[in-house]
Amino acid sequence: MVTLYVSSTAGYSGKSMVTMGIGAQLQKDGFSLGYQKPVGILPAEVENILTDKDAWFIYRFLKLSDPLELICPVVITQDVLIDALREDMKGLDRKIVKAFKALAINKDVMIVGGSGSFHTGSYMGIPATKLVKRLEAKILLIDRYQGDFYLDSILDAQDNFKESLAGVILNNITSEYMSDVQELIVPYLEKKGISVLGVVPYDPLMASVKVEYIAEQLGGKVICCHHRLDNLVEQFLIGGMQVNMFLEYFRKSKNVGVIVGGDRSDIQLASIEGGAKCILLTGNLYPNDIIIGRAEEKGIPIVVLSGDTYTIAKSMEKLSFRIRLRETEKVERGVHLIKEYVDFDRLYAKLGLKK
Amino acid sequence: MLEHFFNPGSVAVVGASRQPGKVGYDVLKNMMSYGYQGQIYPVNPAATEILGIDAYPNLASIAGPVDLAVICVPAAYIIQVVEECAARKIDSIVVITAGFKEVGPEGARLERELKDAINRYGIRMVGPNCVGLIDTASGINASFAAGMPLKGNIGFFSQSGALCVAILDWSLAEDIGFSKFVSLGNKTDISEIEMLLALSEDPETKVILGYLEGINDGLAFMDVAREISKKKPIILIKSGTTASGAKAASSHTGALAGSEAAFQAAFRQSGVIRAHSINDLFNYALAFAYQPLPKGPNIAIITNSGGPGIIAADACDRSNLILASLNKETVDKLRKILPPIASFYNPVDIIGDAGAERYRETLAVIQADDQVHAILVLLTPTAMVDVAETARAVAELAKQSPKPVFASFLGKKRVEEGRKILLREGIPHYNYPEDAIAAMDSMYRQRLWVDEPPRTHLCYRADRDKVWQIFDRVRDENRNQLIEAEAREVLQAYGFKVPANILARTSREAVAAANSIGYPVVMKIAAHQIIHKTDIGGVILGINTAKEVERAFFEITSRARDRAPQAPILGVMVQEMITGGREVILGLSKDAQFGTLIMFGLGGVYVEVLKDVSFRVAPLARQDAHEMVREIRSFPLLRGVRGEQSADIEAVEEALLIMSQLAQDFPEIVEADVNPLLAKSRGEGVIAVDARFTIRGA
Repeated sequence: MVTLYVSSTAGYSGKSMVTMGIGAQLQKDGFSLGYQKPVGILPAEVENILTDKDAWFIYRFLKLSDPLELICPVVITQDVLIDALREDMKGLDRKIVKAFKALAINKDVMIVGGSGSFHTGSYMGIPATKLVKRLEAKILLIDRYQGDFYLDSILDAQDNFKESLAGVILNNITSEYMSDVQELIVPYLEKKGISVLGVVPYDPLMASVKVEYIAEQLGGKVICCHHRLDNLVEQFLIGGMQVNMFLEYFRKSKNVGVIVGGDRSDIQLASIEGGAKCILLTGNLYPNDIIIGRAEEKGIPIVVLSGDTYTIAKSMEKLSFRIRLRETEKVERGVHLIKEYVDFDRLYAKLGLKK
Repeated sequence: MLEHFFNPGSVAVVGASRQPGKVGYDVLKNMMSYGYQGQIYPVNPAATEILGIDAYPNLASIAGPVDLAVICVPAAYIIQVVEECAARKIDSIVVITAGFKEVGPEGARLERELKDAINRYGIRMVGPNCVGLIDTASGINASFAAGMPLKGNIGFFSQSGALCVAILDWSLAEDIGFSKFVSLGNKTDISEIEMLLALSEDPETKVILGYLEGINDGLAFMDVAREISKKKPIILIKSGTTASGAKAASSHTGALAGSEAAFQAAFRQSGVIRAHSINDLFNYALAFAYQPLPKGPNIAIITNSGGPGIIAADACDRSNLILASLNKETVDKLRKILPPIASFYNPVDIIGDAGAERYRETLAVIQADDQVHAILVLLTPTAMVDVAETARAVAELAKQSPKPVFASFLGKKRVEEGRKILLREGIPHYNYPEDAIAAMDSMYRQRLWVDEPPRTHLCYRADRDKVWQIFDRVRDENRNQLIEAEAREVLQAYGFKVPANILARTSREAVAAANSIGYPVVMKIAAHQIIHKTDIGGVILGINTAKEVERAFFEITSRARDRAPQAPILGVMVQEMITGGREVILGLSKDAQFGTLIMFGLGGVYVEVLKDVSFRVAPLARQDAHEMVREIRSFPLLRGVRGEQSADIEAVEEALLIMSQLAQDFPEIVEADVNPLLAKSRGEGVIAVDARFTIRGA
């Protein structure tokens, strides 16, 4: 049995996507697979069992049948968090190892999904650096490369994990960075003894968000086109300028969500006619009925939000980083990207697996 | 007041011109043309004589005293002219010249210099950038408007010169007279406030009319208007209260327009009658200029046809007026003088074959009815009616009674002569019955305002030190928003009852808190950065057991983590659940021109859609609070429907007054709302469930 611990240099780097992609490939290649997320940070209750939202999704995606309570042995609820701050938490690592051992029975491969970065959990005595040792795992590091300072974190990880480090996957590489990555970064890392097991390019679909999710996360009210909430938005535009200027920007963008004040009917109409994916109205202002009617006709959902334009735009930026696993087309796409861009032969070799 | 402007012994026109078509020519010509008895001195360095009178190269060379200087030199020379005025001890000037703040930064700088100069020399100024002023009593026409208004008792001032010119022209065609006519221009010195004061003291002026784009000092304006409007009606049209209008107004005079709600409230609180169109402005003016105020809301309608009578009755229903029930004696008398198929009830339909005589007899009978406070006479030009004769009869009878009479003769060509007679005889005539009703309604509202008892202000005990400390702390921490607990403390310091409330960091603490408060409880996420708690599912109501408390704690904190990952969570607030009572909202906001606005509305989920709210400018008098609560459409819900008990309306009014006091005590509060404020049944008071405060930063 071998164990692969998926961790990252920072949160929201694509660990879940990589976990699912690699897990699916392992299953396809005939390995019996187990999965554990030792520390959950999104508490959820499923059939009276406390678990983690993302872990629960991956568990179902991989069609696993191990007892659910073992999948995520430590869930950081508010209670746990406060208790950990008030008095030293002890024994969490033992709890994790115990659950892990139960899961590992009769498995060829165990994938362990980390939370946050590889430092996360230190204050509870369970950072990845410690768990990797306890679980005798190989670590796979995901990095959403955004400039050379990210290299520091990767080298830092190498220091921490030494020979346990199986390699890194550079994720979400936009075209502007691609040549740098291929010509400079990959050779540099390889020279330092860090195997680059995959370079996954930026994919617009992966960076997109569903209107439904936007409305839910920002607490907006959907006031029309409820049947089109699965529209995917890739880019956002703020309709703060004069209509003609706006149209110029609008035409250059793809799958646009327009953020605009509720009182700017000119921009709203232009967005509807131009085929925006959704319109986010700020300031808690409702549009007039003509606008709603037109949007309904064209199938463009309108979401009324109570924040001001800047605040909404700011939160939107945070949103698109957090890829929601619930969106099936994105999961499929993600798994496909992993299959396509990760060097499985090399990964298997690193883990000592043979097909 | 402003004596030298309206009744100067002598006037210098600086920048007088020999060239027709130039402003300096028109102003001088106007000065000379309408019977002004004082001395007129054209000043022009290049001329010895203009329009047949001696011209002077400068002010210094004029031998006699000069009371008023009307200045139309180019903007670049303005300071120099002001200095010459100061040297000649001229204390009143009208600056017609344009090219100041309305044209850009350079102009604005010049305007500041101009203001400094007149302040330095103690000179009062109308303008700049104005059409000038006219006084029909003294015959002075210091303007470049075409023509002179008729003598009358309407005093008019306007921030728009063009509107002055247009209205003057219109009034000449309509035979409507004015006492004074002032174009205020940029209002650099003399503003609407002084103009109101001047017109209020003017014996020739019975009605004050004005067009405003912005107000310089909202609160001072309200104080002055409140005094004056008790004696003379003030009818104002305020433009630029819509978003588009505000944009246009800002670029027009560089004034920041206050919000529509603020003006609505301010006018209401100071007895200003608001006209929403130029049409209304003059319709109302006509009524006030010609007729006395009615004693009450009851009106009678006399008509010679059914349709217009019904239209008028409908309009009456939509207004504050009441279609009077005629006394039995009146109906009996009508029965004797009218044909049997006539309608003897209000509206009284004297049918199509009525002549002037039948109008006369009917009007006399109605005038005698003590149930009737005002009368509207309608006429459709049937073949049988003598329009002119009827007009004379109506006018003649109207003069003999203290009850106001209004007329609307429908049609155009055939009623023209009658209309002229009516207006000449001082009977307000309107082309359409709806306009007549609207004007009558405005008079009745003025009656209510005049009769309103003096405003009373109450003062409530409060722990100001406590609030001061809280605000200090907030500023120290570089915040401008109060967290919930702070907001509650502020309210408590001002005597508001608030629900019991305990912060729980863990589910165990939450259970202990709920046990000590007593069930049911409400639980809310406590995190500084999460303002809209409900939006992220951070509020759970009606929690009844310890088990439910644990569950709610888990759900609320997990949701917050998921939906607002960046917001640090303090824990969960466990709060006493207030049941029963009706939700209302109190609000406080700032307006650019009037300072603090207090808002009232019914609470609940639809409040933002319905926008059923009322506003008043702080400080509130008791009457204001009383009106605010009753002004919203959903007031009946507070009073109780279908056998429901009334909410504690007095306590709600008191809460509004306390908010007003809070605003007065702490001007740094820029925005606040108490939402919801739960009004329990009568006598049981109100409870402030949740509140938000924003204060001006450090």
